[in-house]
Amino acid sequence: MGTKNSTPTTISLHESQRAYPSVLADALFNSSQQRVFSLLFGQPDREFFVSELIDLAGCGRGAVQRELAKLAGSGLATVSQVGNRKYYRANRESPVFEEICGIVRKTVGMEESIRDALAPLADRLKLVLIFGSVVGRTDTTASDIDLLLVSDELTLEAVYGALTPAEEQLGRRIAPILYTSDELRRRQSEKAGFVTRVLERPHFNLIGSLDDTGIPE
Amino acid sequence: MTQEYLNNLVKAGVLKTESATAEEVSSLIGSGKLRLADAKNSSLNLESRFDLAYNAAHALSLAALRIAGYRSENRYLVFQCLQHTLDFPNEKIRVLDEAHRKRNIAEYEGSFDVEENLVEALIRVTEEVSEKILDKRA
Repeated sequence: MGTKNSTPTTISLHESQRAYPSVLADALFNSSQQRVFSLLFGQPDREFFVSELIDLAGCGRGAVQRELAKLAGSGLATVSQVGNRKYYRANRESPVFEEICGIVRKTVGMEESIRDALAPLADRLKLVLIFGSVVGRTDTTASDIDLLLVSDELTLEAVYGALTPAEEQLGRRIAPILYTSDELRRRQSEKAGFVTRVLERPHFNLIGSLDDTGIPE
Repeated sequence: MTQEYLNNLVKAGVLKTESATAEEVSSLIGSGKLRLADAKNSSLNLESRFDLAYNAAHALSLAALRIAGYRSENRYLVFQCLQHTLDFPNEKIRVLDEAHRKRNIAEYEGSFDVEENLVEALIRVTEEVSEKILDKRA
């Protein structure tokens, strides 16, 4: 896996928001792996029942079970059993746990689902960043995925509408906050304000960077 | 309207069946429209506009539910039921849902922090609730 040089990924993701990550994903994982990895390593603290994984992956029972067997066999995932129900989760003790989480996030996981969902609106979005508990890894399965978006043209309804497929794919609620450039600028100057706090804490850019909106970070 | 969904909420005890008087519905619609008109007044503070628009949204959404023959004290549910009472799409209900969440935070935690875009969206969606109710009554 070509993980040695991470710089081109960051740049290219911004330039071609749609095509590049899925090319990467296809080179690294087959289609059922993409779905199973995106669930297990996209939400590494969540336990999934087999039936749940099969439903969410939507790529057939047999395919999912084969992937799960490989993941459990290699120690990439752990299996527990309660009664006759088995559940799986990503194994934090695996030596490649952090790396796989990173690759999944950038290719088939949360980041990619959201970028994909927002692609039709991308030319009208100046900035999209993910912040909050999912970035700090303090999230639970019940946590929303927090997004901060900046646009001078889009309505909040359009953003909710566009994000719906990603919410369904991830089985998580996405909570977008939409600012105009002016409002963002004003809020950035509030020392103890919400935007200032978001930017001081871990976050990652999905579309654009704060430089594009004319404000240095 | 999906009657079945609403009837299930009645069985769950979160919605009550109760037919409305024309007077009651008119009063809700009147109050909603009045507040909505004031919410559009951009010389007011954002916080006041939000309060007015939120209360207008609630009065009008409740009117839709009352017209359908139901009642609920649960504001969240009154908004969610728009999907069935006025055939509202999810993204518009999400706007109301978010406004409701922000209103609760402001009410119970005392911190008001609402974006301009949310207030604008809330006014647009409420306007649509108002129009759809009038269509329904006509």
